[in-house]
Amino acid sequence: MARRDGIAALVLLLVAGAVSHQAAALPFGSVTNPGPGFVPWWTGLTLAGLALVLATQALRALRAPGARRARAVPAGDWRRVVRLLVALGLYALALDPLGYPISTFLLVLLMRRPTSGGALLSGFALALLASGGTYLLFAVWLGVPLPPGPLLR
Amino acid sequence: MEILSLLGHGFAIALTPTNLMYCFLGSFIGTAIGVLPGLGPPATIALLLPITYGIPPTSAVILLAGIFYGAMYGGSTTSILLNIPGEAASVVTCLDGYAMARQGRAGAALAVSAVGSFIAGTVGVVGLMVLAPPLAAFALRFGAPEYAALLVLGLMMVGYLGGGSMTKGFIMAALGLLLGMVGLDPIMGSPRFTYGVFKLSEGFEFVLVAMGLFGIGEVLVNVERSVAPEVLRTKIRGLLASREEWRAAAPSLARGSLLGFGIGVLPGGGAVISSFVSYALEKKLSRHPERFGQGAIEGVAAPEAANNAAATSSFIPLLTLGIPGNASIALIFAALLIHGIRPGPLLVSQQPEVFWGLIASMYIGNAMLLVLNLPLIRFWVRLLEVPYAILAPFIVVFVLVGAYSVNNSVFDVGTTIAFGALGWLIRKLDFEPAPLVLAMILGPQLEAALRRSLIYSRGDLLVFFERPIAATLMALALLMLLSPVLRRLLARRLRGIVGAPGRD
Repeated sequence: MARRDGIAALVLLLVAGAVSHQAAALPFGSVTNPGPGFVPWWTGLTLAGLALVLATQALRALRAPGARRARAVPAGDWRRVVRLLVALGLYALALDPLGYPISTFLLVLLMRRPTSGGALLSGFALALLASGGTYLLFAVWLGVPLPPGPLLR
Repeated sequence: MEILSLLGHGFAIALTPTNLMYCFLGSFIGTAIGVLPGLGPPATIALLLPITYGIPPTSAVILLAGIFYGAMYGGSTTSILLNIPGEAASVVTCLDGYAMARQGRAGAALAVSAVGSFIAGTVGVVGLMVLAPPLAAFALRFGAPEYAALLVLGLMMVGYLGGGSMTKGFIMAALGLLLGMVGLDPIMGSPRFTYGVFKLSEGFEFVLVAMGLFGIGEVLVNVERSVAPEVLRTKIRGLLASREEWRAAAPSLARGSLLGFGIGVLPGGGAVISSFVSYALEKKLSRHPERFGQGAIEGVAAPEAANNAAATSSFIPLLTLGIPGNASIALIFAALLIHGIRPGPLLVSQQPEVFWGLIASMYIGNAMLLVLNLPLIRFWVRLLEVPYAILAPFIVVFVLVGAYSVNNSVFDVGTTIAFGALGWLIRKLDFEPAPLVLAMILGPQLEAALRRSLIYSRGDLLVFFERPIAATLMALALLMLLSPVLRRLLARRLRGIVGAPGRD
């Protein structure tokens, strides 16, 4: 965990630097009349300070005996997460051109592998139920103007 | 007498067929998500938030509040029967509840937990009803410096009590503040951090951030870990506790209710912390602390009472000061804002139907939950048999439809997915998303109050320390910030006294 904390602290320092840099470009004002950049600049600086504290804590934990063997969060299969995120990204891109029913059907079908790796037939039925059922519920019953796509246009 | 007449008005609102239906629906859904691990109240409230757009504000808040306190009831069932806490606030119930179930005393544990939850929930509602109106009247005396000091204290408490590392809690709060600054600045209206993207000029929609962090984020975490839990099933023999068990549980129920109520009022406090603190207190007060973890009824009664009382009392800062104390309450705050209702000191007097309707619905909801929980225990346990592979696609699809329906925009769907990825990363790095969400909602209020205070005082920072209310709040905030250093100094000093030669 300490290694991850160290990396997180570095990333946060970069974020804080970027925020403070951009806030400095905004009208800063003064203490008597703070401008739009005043609070963001100070918040960026605070974040940088906190990131340094986290980095120090991580360094201390790394130097502690037995630190390299300690693991706070059990490791999982991160590839499933990446696959699901890719599927979700594609869904966002396909929603307008393909429409809700088709893109949701494909998303649920794609999700079967990351979530369970289940059989194709049950995945097909689940995808049909999720896309058709939610379209009926939201678009037809609740009147949400979901994109119909070429299938229902 | 006036309170009773207002409460009567509240019951007239809550007892309409529509509101009764929303109260039942909220309690039912709340119990279900309390039972199911991997889907917490913030995720569910975020999921259902878009559905509430089309219903009246009082009904919306009755539904969402029902989900929140209903989850506290549901979480205990699986903790006791299956050693699976459906809710973080029920983790501690596993210790003695499951031990009781293994000894064949599951019925007693479930009965004490359900009745205790009902009593504590009712104590919480009475406290909310009695304390909220005078507190709201007191808050009307607050000017910008008092609000700024209160919000600073709120942020400190979120970091301090939010669970896990304090540094990480503050980091999340700082990130939340920065996210809240995207869009137009609250005083002058000039754009900040929008990078020329027109959609960002109104800032990030809070609902999208919450749905991404809690809805998609939780699914991603569960998908990564997806390990089927090993379940040791147990038999439920009747749902009655003996007279001795009730006698042993009664003081713990009373202490848990009061302690939970007190902790729930604090920003960042809430159900999880109150359940742990009340368990620790009971163990400390017990003449036989060695029984704890082996099936002590007090170890079930106290935390269950505490988490229910805390769930109810956490509405106090929201309804009186406009400050949400935890992620679920922040989402209810957002729901009220969407309906054009600003929670705060004026809510009680200007929107009495919302305030008193909610209070009355809580009495009804607690009674409904008692009826729902005990006879339907077998149904709730069977709910756990629904595979996550079936549940997950529905959660994701609900979140995505919800995100789309906010503005009928694909951009919002993309934003939600991006925040989902951030939510997974945050949890992966052992950070908590709740302080981020709270700071994001408190941020614009804090900035406006801070800048107004500085303009009003002509840049004199002493404005936060010269006015008595602001000074008290700031002193508490500073004390909280410095508490780790003070604790370390005190420990060093004590070690020095104990270790010093020739002192004994």
